[in-house]
Amino acid sequence: MKGQEWYQADDVAEEYDDKRFSQGGQLIDRREKRAVLEAIEPLEDRRVLEIACGTGRFTTMIADRGADVVGLDISAAMLQQGREKARAAGVSDRLEFLRGDAGRLPFPDDHFDTVIAMRFFHLADDPEAFLSEMRRVSSDQIVFDTFNRYSARSVYNWALPMGSRLYSKSEVSVLLAKTDLTLVDVEDDFIVPYGLYRSIPNVLASSIRSVDRVIGRSTVGDHLASVSYWDTRVR
Amino acid sequence: MKESLLEILCCPLDKHDLELEDAEYDDDGDEIVSGTLVCTECGERYPIEDGIPNLLPPDMREGTPA
Repeated sequence: MKGQEWYQADDVAEEYDDKRFSQGGQLIDRREKRAVLEAIEPLEDRRVLEIACGTGRFTTMIADRGADVVGLDISAAMLQQGREKARAAGVSDRLEFLRGDAGRLPFPDDHFDTVIAMRFFHLADDPEAFLSEMRRVSSDQIVFDTFNRYSARSVYNWALPMGSRLYSKSEVSVLLAKTDLTLVDVEDDFIVPYGLYRSIPNVLASSIRSVDRVIGRSTVGDHLASVSYWDTRVR
Repeated sequence: MKESLLEILCCPLDKHDLELEDAEYDDDGDEIVSGTLVCTECGERYPIEDGIPNLLPPDMREGTPA
């Protein structure tokens, strides 16, 4: 796993939320949360597992909407931040965190209704193994995102500290077929890559984002989009 | 972690049940802050550290190359 060391450093964990979700990062955060909720709601009494939950921005939101949630990550520092976030949000009674390996999950078969993995597959060295392990513990649904190969993401990809794996649509389709998953929906977004959004001021971020949305609605946008959100069902 | 999490956790290596040993609870008594989870089949031990169970397989724990 490429990001293993980088993501586990304490200082990275502490600054992680500030860095990720300031300025243009907030636009990305909101869009990702919407993508996740649209795919997995209604959540009342659903059992949800998040792989690579980091500091718990999705797990907290999902628990707040009535699901019983488990967040798994490799980094103890990130998970401690998650616990604080859960306490502050008053959802500690329905949200648990644990350290674990996404490739060898410590749960029985079919335990969860929904398993999600956001910003995970770009760090996966063996995506098929991870996806089939997620499928093993899910009885119904798997939701994840990928960064796309044929997009602006490929331009700055080499400069990222954690490395990054890009996917074409057909690669993901093959992965789904191999792991016995049915595609329910796929949404594409962000022609302008995340990295740019994070580095520009808020005012500018909003106006670039509105242009991004308009282009994104056209058919051309589908092929340029840097992110895809995948909603799949267990067969 | 809460004790109820034990009902769903299993050994990441062989998926067998885990048994809780040396548990220490927080002041309210509803959170386990430290202890050890032991696989009833292979005997592998998984620590609970600052309230967070560490179910990383032995080859991925601290001190082992990534």
